[in-house]
Amino acid sequence: MSSLSTSTLASTPVIGKKKRDVAYLLSLGFLMVVVAAALLAPWVAPYAANAVDFTAIWQAPGAAHLLGTDQVGQDLFSRLIHGARESLLGPLALLALATVFGVTIGTVAAWNGGWIDGLLARITDVMFAFPGLLFVVLVIAVFGKGPATAIVALALAYAPVIAKFTRSLALAEMARPYVDAYRVQGVGGFFLCVRYIIPNLTPPLLGYLVVLFGEGLMSLATLSFLGFGAQPPSSEWGLMVQEGQSGIIQGHIWPTLVPGAAIAAVVVAVNVVGVRLSDRLNSRFER
Amino acid sequence: MSEHVLEVDGLQKAFRVGAGNVVACNNVSFAIPPGGSMGLVGESGSGKSTIARMLVGLETPDAGTIHVRGRQLGTRERGRAARLRRAKEIQMVFQDPYGSLDRRLTVAQCLDQAMRLHGVSGSSRIAGLLDQVGLLAKHGDSKPHQLSGGQRQRAAIARCLAIEPSVMVLDEAVSALDVSVQAQILALLNEIRASSGIALLFVSHDLAVVSEVTDDVLVMYRGSILEQGPTGRVLNAPEHSYTKLLISSMPGPGWDPKNVLERRAAFLAEVGV
Repeated sequence: MSSLSTSTLASTPVIGKKKRDVAYLLSLGFLMVVVAAALLAPWVAPYAANAVDFTAIWQAPGAAHLLGTDQVGQDLFSRLIHGARESLLGPLALLALATVFGVTIGTVAAWNGGWIDGLLARITDVMFAFPGLLFVVLVIAVFGKGPATAIVALALAYAPVIAKFTRSLALAEMARPYVDAYRVQGVGGFFLCVRYIIPNLTPPLLGYLVVLFGEGLMSLATLSFLGFGAQPPSSEWGLMVQEGQSGIIQGHIWPTLVPGAAIAAVVVAVNVVGVRLSDRLNSRFER
Repeated sequence: MSEHVLEVDGLQKAFRVGAGNVVACNNVSFAIPPGGSMGLVGESGSGKSTIARMLVGLETPDAGTIHVRGRQLGTRERGRAARLRRAKEIQMVFQDPYGSLDRRLTVAQCLDQAMRLHGVSGSSRIAGLLDQVGLLAKHGDSKPHQLSGGQRQRAAIARCLAIEPSVMVLDEAVSALDVSVQAQILALLNEIRASSGIALLFVSHDLAVVSEVTDDVLVMYRGSILEQGPTGRVLNAPEHSYTKLLISSMPGPGWDPKNVLERRAAFLAEVGV
Protein backbone atom coordinates (compact mmCIF):
# COMPACT_ATOMS: atom_id res chain seq x y z
CA MET A 1 0.00 0.00 0.00
CA SER A 2 2.70 2.42 0.98
CA SER A 3 4.91 1.43 -1.93
CA LEU A 4 2.00 1.97 -4.31
CA SER A 5 1.31 5.45 -3.03
CA THR A 6 4.95 6.50 -3.09
CA SER A 7 5.39 5.26 -6.66
CA THR A 8 2.34 7.12 -7.92
CA LEU A 9 3.42 10.22 -6.05
CA ALA A 10 6.92 10.00 -7.41
CA SER A 11 6.03 9.23 -11.01
CA THR A 12 4.22 12.42 -11.93
CA PRO A 13 6.92 14.99 -11.23
CA VAL A 14 9.63 12.82 -12.78
CA ILE A 15 7.94 12.84 -16.19
CA GLY A 16 7.47 16.60 -16.06
CA LYS A 17 11.06 17.02 -15.00
CA LYS A 18 12.45 15.01 -17.90
CA LYS A 19 10.41 16.91 -20.46
CA ARG A 20 11.60 20.24 -19.18
CA ASP A 21 15.18 19.07 -18.95
CA VAL A 22 15.37 18.58 -22.73
CA ALA A 23 14.42 22.19 -23.41
CA TYR A 24 16.76 23.32 -20.64
CA LEU A 25 19.73 21.34 -21.92
CA LEU A 26 19.10 22.40 -25.53
CA SER A 27 18.87 26.05 -24.49
CA LEU A 28 21.92 25.82 -22.29
CA GLY A 29 23.89 24.10 -25.09
CA PHE A 30 22.80 26.72 -27.60
CA LEU A 31 23.81 29.58 -25.30
CA MET A 32 27.19 27.97 -24.68
CA VAL A 33 27.77 27.74 -28.43
CA VAL A 34 26.80 31.40 -28.85
CA VAL A 35 29.08 32.51 -26.03
CA ALA A 36 31.95 30.38 -27.37
CA ALA A 37 31.45 31.85 -30.83
CA ALA A 38 31.47 35.36 -29.39
CA LEU A 39 34.65 34.71 -27.42
CA LEU A 40 36.41 33.08 -30.37
CA ALA A 41 34.95 35.43 -33.01
CA PRO A 42 38.23 36.30 -34.82
CA TRP A 43 39.07 32.62 -35.20
CA VAL A 44 35.60 31.24 -35.86
CA ALA A 45 34.23 33.85 -38.27
CA PRO A 46 35.10 33.09 -41.91
CA TYR A 47 35.32 36.82 -42.79
CA ALA A 48 36.15 40.03 -40.97
CA ALA A 49 33.11 41.82 -39.54
CA ASN A 50 33.39 44.68 -42.00
CA ALA A 51 34.85 42.98 -45.05
CA VAL A 52 32.97 44.63 -47.93
CA ASP A 53 32.58 42.68 -51.16
CA PHE A 54 30.59 44.46 -53.85
CA THR A 55 30.71 41.41 -56.11
CA ALA A 56 28.55 39.51 -53.63
CA ILE A 57 25.81 41.75 -52.32
CA TRP A 58 22.47 40.48 -51.05
CA GLN A 59 23.41 36.86 -51.40
CA ALA A 60 21.05 34.23 -50.06
CA PRO A 61 22.58 31.66 -47.68
CA GLY A 62 24.93 29.36 -49.51
CA ALA A 63 28.30 27.65 -49.47
CA ALA A 64 30.41 30.83 -49.72
CA HIS A 65 28.29 32.80 -47.26
CA LEU A 66 26.64 30.56 -44.71
CA LEU A 67 23.85 33.03 -43.87
CA GLY A 68 24.09 35.27 -46.92
CA THR A 69 25.36 38.84 -47.30
CA ASP A 70 24.01 42.36 -46.90
CA GLN A 71 23.75 45.36 -49.21
CA VAL A 72 27.51 45.91 -49.32
CA GLY A 73 28.39 42.24 -49.44
CA GLN A 74 29.40 41.80 -45.81
CA ASP A 75 29.13 38.19 -44.61
CA LEU A 76 26.12 38.02 -42.26
CA PHE A 77 27.40 34.97 -40.36
CA SER A 78 30.69 36.71 -39.58
CA ARG A 79 28.97 39.95 -38.60
CA LEU A 80 26.61 37.99 -36.35
CA ILE A 81 29.47 36.30 -34.54
CA HIS A 82 31.48 39.50 -34.14
CA GLY A 83 28.36 41.37 -33.07
CA ALA A 84 27.58 38.72 -30.47
CA ARG A 85 30.25 40.22 -28.23
CA GLU A 86 28.63 43.60 -27.99
CA SER A 87 25.14 42.12 -28.05
CA LEU A 88 25.84 39.87 -25.04
CA LEU A 89 28.25 42.06 -23.07
CA GLY A 90 25.84 45.01 -23.27
CA PRO A 91 23.02 43.36 -21.29
CA LEU A 92 25.60 41.86 -18.93
CA ALA A 93 27.03 45.27 -18.07
CA LEU A 94 23.55 46.72 -17.80
CA LEU A 95 22.46 43.99 -15.40
CA ALA A 96 25.61 44.25 -13.32
CA LEU A 97 25.01 47.95 -12.85
CA ALA A 98 21.28 47.59 -12.21
CA THR A 99 21.89 44.72 -9.76
CA VAL A 100 24.38 46.68 -7.68
CA PHE A 101 21.90 49.54 -7.37
CA GLY A 102 18.77 47.43 -7.11
CA VAL A 103 20.01 44.94 -4.53
CA THR A 104 21.50 47.69 -2.38
CA ILE A 105 18.34 49.80 -2.44
CA GLY A 106 16.02 46.81 -1.99
CA THR A 107 17.95 45.43 0.97
CA VAL A 108 18.25 48.81 2.67
CA ALA A 109 14.52 49.39 2.20
CA ALA A 110 13.65 45.99 3.64
CA TRP A 111 16.02 46.34 6.59
CA ASN A 112 15.25 49.93 7.56
CA GLY A 113 11.63 50.29 6.47
CA GLY A 114 10.44 53.81 7.20
CA TRP A 115 10.99 56.67 4.78
CA ILE A 116 13.60 54.86 2.70
CA ASP A 117 11.08 52.13 2.04
CA GLY A 118 8.40 54.71 1.24
CA LEU A 119 10.71 56.56 -1.16
CA LEU A 120 11.57 53.33 -2.96
CA ALA A 121 7.89 52.48 -3.32
CA ARG A 122 7.15 55.89 -4.85
CA ILE A 123 10.10 55.71 -7.27
CA THR A 124 9.14 52.23 -8.44
CA ASP A 125 5.52 53.33 -8.84
CA VAL A 126 6.64 56.18 -11.09
CA MET A 127 8.96 53.89 -13.03
CA PHE A 128 6.23 51.33 -13.53
CA ALA A 129 3.75 53.96 -14.70
CA PHE A 130 6.30 55.55 -17.04
CA PRO A 131 7.12 53.48 -20.15
CA GLY A 132 10.69 52.23 -19.67
CA LEU A 133 11.79 52.94 -23.21
CA LEU A 134 10.48 56.50 -23.02
CA PHE A 135 12.53 57.09 -19.88
CA VAL A 136 15.61 55.69 -21.56
CA VAL A 137 15.13 57.85 -24.66
CA LEU A 138 14.78 60.83 -22.34
CA VAL A 139 18.08 60.03 -20.62
CA ILE A 140 19.76 59.58 -24.01
CA ALA A 141 18.33 62.88 -25.18
CA VAL A 142 20.02 64.56 -22.23
CA PHE A 143 23.35 62.71 -22.21
CA GLY A 144 23.76 61.89 -25.89
CA LYS A 145 23.47 58.64 -27.77
CA GLY A 146 25.93 55.76 -27.72
CA PRO A 147 26.22 52.27 -26.28
CA ALA A 148 27.48 53.42 -22.87
CA THR A 149 24.63 55.88 -22.36
CA ALA A 150 22.12 53.28 -23.50
CA ILE A 151 23.47 50.80 -20.96
CA VAL A 152 23.48 53.27 -18.07
CA ALA A 153 20.01 54.56 -18.97
CA LEU A 154 18.58 51.05 -19.08
CA ALA A 155 20.35 50.17 -15.84
CA LEU A 156 18.58 53.12 -14.21
CA ALA A 157 15.28 51.84 -15.55
CA TYR A 158 15.93 48.28 -14.37
CA ALA A 159 17.29 49.13 -10.92
CA PRO A 160 13.87 49.87 -9.32
CA VAL A 161 12.46 46.62 -10.69
CA ILE A 162 15.32 44.65 -9.17
CA ALA A 163 15.05 46.71 -5.99
CA LYS A 164 11.39 45.86 -5.60
CA PHE A 165 12.02 42.16 -6.20
CA THR A 166 14.96 42.17 -3.79
CA ARG A 167 12.91 43.97 -1.17
CA SER A 168 10.17 41.35 -1.19
CA LEU A 169 12.72 38.52 -1.03
CA ALA A 170 14.65 40.26 1.73
CA LEU A 171 11.53 40.91 3.81
CA ALA A 172 10.67 37.20 3.72
CA GLU A 173 14.27 36.32 4.51
CA MET A 174 14.48 38.72 7.45
CA ALA A 175 11.41 37.11 8.99
CA ARG A 176 13.32 33.83 9.30
CA PRO A 177 14.52 33.06 12.81
CA TYR A 178 18.13 32.61 11.77
CA VAL A 179 18.31 36.36 11.20
CA ASP A 180 17.21 36.89 14.81
CA ALA A 181 19.78 34.31 15.84
CA TYR A 182 22.54 36.32 14.17
CA ARG A 183 21.33 39.48 15.89
CA VAL A 184 21.33 37.71 19.24
CA GLN A 185 24.92 36.67 18.50
CA GLY A 186 25.73 40.35 18.19
CA VAL A 187 26.06 40.61 14.42
CA GLY A 188 25.49 44.20 13.27
CA GLY A 189 22.89 45.20 10.70
CA PHE A 190 25.25 46.02 7.82
CA PHE A 191 27.34 42.89 8.24
CA LEU A 192 24.22 40.78 8.64
CA CYS A 193 22.77 42.06 5.37
CA VAL A 194 25.95 41.81 3.32
CA ARG A 195 27.35 38.61 4.71
CA TYR A 196 24.27 36.53 5.43
CA ILE A 197 21.01 37.89 4.02
CA ILE A 198 22.07 38.88 0.49
CA PRO A 199 23.89 35.57 -0.14
CA ASN A 200 20.70 33.80 0.89
CA LEU A 201 18.75 35.84 -1.68
CA THR A 202 21.11 34.88 -4.48
CA PRO A 203 19.38 31.71 -5.76
CA PRO A 204 15.95 33.24 -6.47
CA LEU A 205 17.58 36.50 -7.56
CA LEU A 206 19.88 34.74 -10.01
CA GLY A 207 17.00 33.07 -11.83
CA TYR A 208 15.22 36.39 -12.10
CA LEU A 209 18.34 38.13 -13.36
CA VAL A 210 18.84 35.54 -16.09
CA VAL A 211 15.32 36.25 -17.35
CA LEU A 212 16.02 39.99 -17.11
CA PHE A 213 19.16 39.42 -19.18
CA GLY A 214 16.96 38.34 -22.09
CA GLU A 215 14.83 41.42 -21.63
CA GLY A 216 17.90 43.64 -21.42
CA LEU A 217 19.31 42.16 -24.62
CA MET A 218 16.06 42.95 -26.38
CA SER A 219 15.89 46.49 -24.98
CA LEU A 220 19.48 47.26 -25.97
CA ALA A 221 18.87 45.86 -29.46
CA THR A 222 15.77 48.03 -29.70
CA LEU A 223 17.76 51.12 -28.76
CA SER A 224 20.41 50.27 -31.34
CA PHE A 225 17.69 49.69 -33.90
CA LEU A 226 16.35 53.17 -33.14
CA GLY A 227 19.85 54.57 -33.52
CA PHE A 228 20.38 55.43 -29.85
CA GLY A 229 22.67 52.57 -28.86
CA ALA A 230 25.45 50.91 -30.85
CA GLN A 231 26.73 52.97 -33.78
CA PRO A 232 28.13 51.86 -37.14
CA PRO A 233 30.43 50.18 -38.03
CA SER A 234 29.44 47.96 -35.11
CA SER A 235 27.61 44.77 -35.99
CA GLU A 236 25.51 44.77 -32.83
CA TRP A 237 22.42 42.72 -33.64
CA GLY A 238 19.82 45.46 -33.23
CA LEU A 239 21.89 47.70 -35.48
CA MET A 240 22.17 44.87 -38.03
CA VAL A 241 18.39 44.59 -38.15
CA GLN A 242 18.13 48.33 -38.71
CA GLU A 243 20.75 48.33 -41.48
CA GLY A 244 19.14 45.35 -43.14
CA GLN A 245 15.63 46.76 -43.32
CA SER A 246 16.37 48.86 -46.41
CA GLY A 247 16.58 45.61 -48.35
CA ILE A 248 13.21 44.26 -47.26
CA ILE A 249 11.28 46.33 -49.82
CA GLN A 250 13.44 44.80 -52.55
CA GLY A 251 12.79 41.32 -51.20
CA HIS A 252 16.12 40.79 -49.44
CA ILE A 253 15.00 39.45 -46.09
CA TRP A 254 18.19 37.76 -44.90
CA PRO A 255 20.05 40.82 -43.57
CA THR A 256 17.06 41.51 -41.27
CA LEU A 257 15.99 37.98 -40.58
CA VAL A 258 19.39 36.64 -39.48
CA PRO A 259 20.10 39.08 -36.64
CA GLY A 260 16.40 39.18 -35.73
CA ALA A 261 16.28 35.42 -35.40
CA ALA A 262 19.52 35.47 -33.40
CA ILE A 263 18.02 37.92 -30.92
CA ALA A 264 14.82 35.88 -30.63
CA ALA A 265 16.65 32.56 -30.23
CA VAL A 266 18.98 33.87 -27.53
CA VAL A 267 16.13 35.52 -25.62
CA VAL A 268 14.03 32.36 -25.71
CA ALA A 269 16.97 30.20 -24.64
CA VAL A 270 17.86 32.61 -21.84
CA ASN A 271 14.28 32.54 -20.59
CA VAL A 272 14.13 28.75 -20.58
CA VAL A 273 17.42 28.56 -18.72
CA GLY A 274 16.42 31.29 -16.31
CA VAL A 275 13.12 29.72 -15.31
CA ARG A 276 14.63 26.27 -14.96
CA LEU A 277 17.61 27.61 -13.05
CA SER A 278 15.49 29.45 -10.52
CA ASP A 279 13.38 26.32 -10.02
CA ARG A 280 16.48 24.26 -9.38
CA LEU A 281 18.21 26.74 -7.13
CA ASN A 282 15.07 27.38 -5.13
CA SER A 283 14.20 23.75 -4.60
CA ARG A 284 17.73 23.01 -3.50
CA PHE A 285 17.69 25.94 -1.12
CA GLU A 286 14.30 25.54 0.46
CA ARG A 287 14.89 24.17 3.94
CA MET B 1 22.02 41.51 45.02
CA SER B 2 24.57 40.04 42.69
CA GLU B 3 24.03 36.52 43.94
CA HIS B 4 21.71 36.23 40.95
CA VAL B 5 23.05 35.76 37.46
CA LEU B 6 19.93 37.22 35.87
CA GLU B 7 17.75 39.86 37.49
CA VAL B 8 14.71 41.26 35.76
CA ASP B 9 12.97 44.15 37.47
CA GLY B 10 9.71 45.85 36.54
CA LEU B 11 9.86 44.86 32.88
CA GLN B 12 7.12 46.50 30.86
CA LYS B 13 6.13 46.22 27.22
CA ALA B 14 3.02 47.09 25.26
CA PHE B 15 2.39 46.65 21.56
CA ARG B 16 0.17 48.95 19.59
CA VAL B 17 -2.49 46.89 17.88
CA GLY B 18 -4.93 48.91 15.84
CA ALA B 19 -6.17 51.75 18.00
CA GLY B 20 -5.42 50.18 21.36
CA ASN B 21 -2.47 48.76 23.25
CA VAL B 22 -1.88 45.15 24.10
CA VAL B 23 0.17 44.75 27.23
CA ALA B 24 2.52 41.88 26.56
CA CYS B 25 4.51 42.29 29.73
CA ASN B 26 3.25 44.05 32.82
CA ASN B 27 5.68 44.83 35.63
CA VAL B 28 7.48 41.50 35.44
CA SER B 29 10.27 40.85 37.93
CA PHE B 30 12.21 37.68 38.61
CA ALA B 31 15.73 36.47 39.26
CA ILE B 32 17.72 33.33 38.47
CA PRO B 33 20.66 32.20 40.63
CA PRO B 34 23.90 31.08 38.92
CA GLY B 35 23.39 27.68 37.33
CA GLY B 36 19.69 27.92 38.10
CA SER B 37 16.87 27.05 35.82
CA MET B 38 13.65 28.99 35.59
CA GLY B 39 10.53 28.01 33.71
CA LEU B 40 8.24 30.57 32.16
CA VAL B 41 4.86 29.06 31.37
CA GLY B 42 1.59 30.33 30.05
CA GLU B 43 -0.70 29.97 27.10
CA SER B 44 -0.11 31.51 23.67
CA GLY B 45 -0.21 35.28 23.85
CA SER B 46 0.66 35.43 27.53
CA GLY B 47 3.78 37.45 26.77
CA LYS B 48 6.40 34.84 27.58
CA SER B 49 8.09 35.04 24.20
CA THR B 50 8.12 38.82 24.41
CA ILE B 51 10.05 38.57 27.67
CA ALA B 52 12.51 36.18 26.03
CA ARG B 53 12.98 38.57 23.10
CA MET B 54 13.50 41.54 25.40
CA LEU B 55 16.14 39.65 27.34
CA VAL B 56 18.22 39.02 24.22
CA GLY B 57 17.66 42.50 22.81
CA LEU B 58 15.30 41.66 19.95
CA GLU B 59 12.61 43.82 21.53
CA THR B 60 13.04 47.04 23.47
CA PRO B 61 11.29 47.18 26.85
CA ASP B 62 9.14 50.23 27.57
CA ALA B 63 10.34 50.23 31.17
CA GLY B 64 12.24 48.07 33.60
CA THR B 65 15.78 46.81 33.90
CA ILE B 66 17.65 43.64 33.07
CA HIS B 67 20.85 42.82 34.95
CA VAL B 68 23.16 39.98 34.05
CA ARG B 69 25.87 39.24 36.61
CA GLY B 70 25.19 42.59 38.22
CA ARG B 71 25.68 44.57 35.00
CA GLN B 72 22.72 46.29 33.45
CA LEU B 73 21.95 45.53 29.82
CA GLY B 74 21.16 48.51 27.63
CA THR B 75 17.73 48.84 26.11
CA ARG B 76 19.24 49.20 22.67
CA GLU B 77 22.85 48.36 22.01
CA ARG B 78 24.77 50.83 19.88
CA GLY B 79 28.07 49.82 18.45
CA ARG B 80 29.82 46.55 17.96
CA ALA B 81 31.42 46.25 21.39
CA ALA B 82 28.13 46.76 23.24
CA ARG B 83 26.33 44.27 21.00
CA LEU B 84 28.97 41.63 21.49
CA ARG B 85 29.07 42.21 25.24
CA ARG B 86 25.34 41.61 25.49
CA ALA B 87 25.58 38.53 23.27
CA LYS B 88 28.31 37.18 25.50
CA GLU B 89 25.99 37.46 28.52
CA ILE B 90 22.83 35.98 27.12
CA GLN B 91 22.03 33.66 24.24
CA MET B 92 18.85 32.16 22.88
CA VAL B 93 17.66 28.92 21.32
CA PHE B 94 14.68 29.43 19.05
CA GLN B 95 11.55 27.38 18.65
CA ASP B 96 11.92 26.57 14.98
CA PRO B 97 14.93 24.33 14.42
CA TYR B 98 14.22 24.47 10.68
CA GLY B 99 14.56 28.21 10.36
CA SER B 100 16.97 29.20 13.09
CA LEU B 101 20.06 27.92 11.31
CA ASP B 102 21.44 29.62 8.21
CA ARG B 103 20.75 27.09 5.45
CA ARG B 104 23.84 28.13 3.52
CA LEU B 105 26.32 27.17 6.23
CA THR B 106 27.44 23.82 7.56
CA VAL B 107 27.20 23.29 11.31
CA ALA B 108 30.96 23.68 11.68
CA GLN B 109 30.98 26.95 9.69
CA CYS B 110 28.11 28.21 11.79
CA LEU B 111 29.98 27.48 15.04
CA ASP B 112 33.24 28.84 13.65
CA GLN B 113 31.65 32.15 12.63
CA ALA B 114 29.96 32.56 16.01
CA MET B 115 33.28 32.00 17.79
CA ARG B 116 35.24 34.23 15.45
CA LEU B 117 32.72 37.01 15.93
CA HIS B 118 33.50 36.83 19.62
CA GLY B 119 37.23 36.66 19.10
CA VAL B 120 37.53 33.03 20.05
CA SER B 121 39.63 31.33 17.44
CA GLY B 122 40.14 27.63 17.23
CA SER B 123 38.52 25.08 15.04
CA SER B 124 39.70 22.64 17.69
CA ARG B 125 36.83 23.77 19.88
CA ILE B 126 34.28 22.83 17.23
CA ALA B 127 34.83 19.12 17.79
CA GLY B 128 34.40 19.63 21.52
CA LEU B 129 31.18 21.58 21.04
CA LEU B 130 29.72 18.97 18.70
CA ASP B 131 30.59 16.31 21.23
CA GLN B 132 29.10 18.34 24.06
CA VAL B 133 25.70 18.51 22.35
CA GLY B 134 25.77 14.89 21.25
CA LEU B 135 26.51 15.41 17.58
CA LEU B 136 29.04 13.34 15.70
CA ALA B 137 32.08 14.87 14.04
CA LYS B 138 30.57 14.16 10.61
CA HIS B 139 27.58 16.35 11.44
CA GLY B 140 29.93 19.31 11.41
CA ASP B 141 30.10 19.06 7.63
CA SER B 142 26.31 18.82 7.25
CA LYS B 143 24.07 21.64 6.20
CA PRO B 144 20.87 22.10 8.22
CA HIS B 145 18.63 20.44 5.63
CA GLN B 146 20.66 17.25 5.96
CA LEU B 147 19.93 17.03 9.68
CA SER B 148 16.85 15.97 11.64
CA GLY B 149 14.92 18.39 13.81
CA GLY B 150 16.61 17.15 16.98
CA GLN B 151 20.06 17.36 15.42
CA ARG B 152 19.37 20.90 14.25
CA GLN B 153 18.29 21.91 17.73
CA ARG B 154 21.50 20.38 19.08
CA ALA B 155 23.42 22.46 16.55
CA ALA B 156 21.54 25.58 17.67
CA ILE B 157 22.43 24.80 21.29
CA ALA B 158 26.07 24.29 20.28
CA ARG B 159 25.99 27.71 18.60
CA CYS B 160 24.89 29.26 21.91
CA LEU B 161 27.53 27.37 23.85
CA ALA B 162 30.19 28.55 21.40
CA ILE B 163 29.71 32.06 22.74
CA GLU B 164 29.90 30.85 26.37
CA PRO B 165 27.05 32.94 27.75
CA SER B 166 26.04 33.21 31.40
CA VAL B 167 22.37 32.74 30.59
CA MET B 168 20.65 30.73 27.90
CA VAL B 169 17.06 31.52 26.97
CA LEU B 170 15.15 28.65 25.40
CA ASP B 171 12.05 29.90 23.64
CA GLU B 172 9.81 26.85 23.12
CA ALA B 173 13.02 25.10 22.17
CA VAL B 174 11.58 21.60 22.18
CA SER B 175 7.99 22.35 21.10
CA ALA B 176 8.64 21.51 17.46
CA LEU B 177 10.24 18.16 18.28
CA ASP B 178 8.55 14.84 18.82
CA VAL B 179 8.35 13.43 22.31
CA SER B 180 11.32 11.06 22.26
CA VAL B 181 13.58 13.72 20.74
CA GLN B 182 12.24 16.19 23.30
CA ALA B 183 13.40 13.91 26.08
CA GLN B 184 16.89 13.70 24.58
CA ILE B 185 17.20 17.45 24.23
CA LEU B 186 15.92 18.01 27.78
CA ALA B 187 18.45 15.52 29.11
CA LEU B 188 21.13 17.36 27.14
CA LEU B 189 20.08 20.69 28.65
CA ASN B 190 20.23 19.26 32.17
CA GLU B 191 23.68 17.93 31.39
CA ILE B 192 24.89 21.28 30.04
CA ARG B 193 23.53 23.08 33.04
CA ALA B 194 25.27 20.70 35.41
CA SER B 195 28.61 20.80 33.59
CA SER B 196 28.85 24.43 32.50
CA GLY B 197 26.83 26.27 35.13
CA ILE B 198 24.95 28.23 32.48
CA ALA B 199 21.63 29.44 33.87
CA LEU B 200 18.56 28.52 31.84
CA LEU B 201 15.35 30.40 31.25
CA PHE B 202 12.96 27.90 29.79
CA VAL B 203 9.98 29.42 28.02
CA SER B 204 7.28 26.89 27.26
CA HIS B 205 3.59 26.25 27.20
CA ASP B 206 4.29 22.63 28.08
CA LEU B 207 4.19 22.02 31.83
CA ALA B 208 5.56 18.50 31.54
CA VAL B 209 8.64 19.82 29.76
CA VAL B 210 9.12 22.59 32.28
CA SER B 211 8.91 20.18 35.19
CA GLU B 212 11.80 18.19 33.67
CA VAL B 213 14.36 20.95 33.49
CA THR B 214 13.53 23.76 35.89
CA ASP B 215 13.94 24.49 39.59
CA ASP B 216 11.51 27.37 39.69
CA VAL B 217 8.60 28.39 37.56
CA LEU B 218 6.70 31.55 36.68
CA VAL B 219 3.12 31.31 35.53
CA MET B 220 2.10 34.12 33.21
CA TYR B 221 -1.24 35.25 31.94
CA ARG B 222 -1.80 38.28 29.71
CA GLY B 223 1.56 39.82 30.50
CA SER B 224 1.44 39.41 34.27
CA ILE B 225 2.97 36.86 36.60
CA LEU B 226 0.19 35.14 38.51
CA GLU B 227 2.18 32.65 40.50
CA GLN B 228 5.80 31.74 41.06
CA GLY B 229 7.71 29.29 43.16
CA PRO B 230 9.60 26.01 43.09
CA THR B 231 8.47 23.99 40.08
CA GLY B 232 7.46 20.93 42.11
CA ARG B 233 5.35 22.96 44.51
CA VAL B 234 3.63 25.05 41.81
CA LEU B 235 2.79 22.05 39.65
CA ASN B 236 1.71 19.74 42.49
CA ALA B 237 -0.03 22.23 44.74
CA PRO B 238 -0.96 25.24 42.62
CA GLU B 239 -2.37 28.21 44.48
CA HIS B 240 -3.67 30.41 41.70
CA SER B 241 -6.82 29.31 39.91
CA TYR B 242 -5.17 29.95 36.53
CA THR B 243 -2.32 27.59 37.38
CA LYS B 244 -4.88 24.98 38.38
CA LEU B 245 -6.65 25.54 35.07
CA LEU B 246 -3.39 25.22 33.15
CA ILE B 247 -2.56 21.97 34.91
CA SER B 248 -6.01 20.53 34.38
CA SER B 249 -5.70 21.44 30.68
CA MET B 250 -2.87 18.97 30.23
CA PRO B 251 -4.04 15.85 28.45
CA GLY B 252 -3.66 12.77 30.63
CA PRO B 253 -5.62 9.90 32.15
CA GLY B 254 -9.16 10.90 32.96
CA TRP B 255 -8.77 14.11 30.99
CA ASP B 256 -11.98 15.69 29.79
CA PRO B 257 -11.81 18.55 27.29
CA LYS B 258 -15.31 19.65 28.17
CA ASN B 259 -14.35 19.99 31.81
CA VAL B 260 -11.32 22.11 30.79
CA LEU B 261 -13.49 24.47 28.78
CA GLU B 262 -15.89 24.87 31.68
CA ARG B 263 -13.08 25.66 34.09
CA ARG B 264 -11.61 28.10 31.59
CA ALA B 265 -14.94 29.90 31.31
CA ALA B 266 -15.13 30.04 35.11
CA PHE B 267 -11.61 31.48 35.28
CA LEU B 268 -12.32 34.13 32.65
CA ALA B 269 -15.45 35.14 34.56
CA GLU B 270 -13.33 35.38 37.71
CA VAL B 271 -10.75 37.74 36.18
CA GLY B 272 -13.56 39.71 34.64
CA VAL B 273 -13.08 39.28 30.89
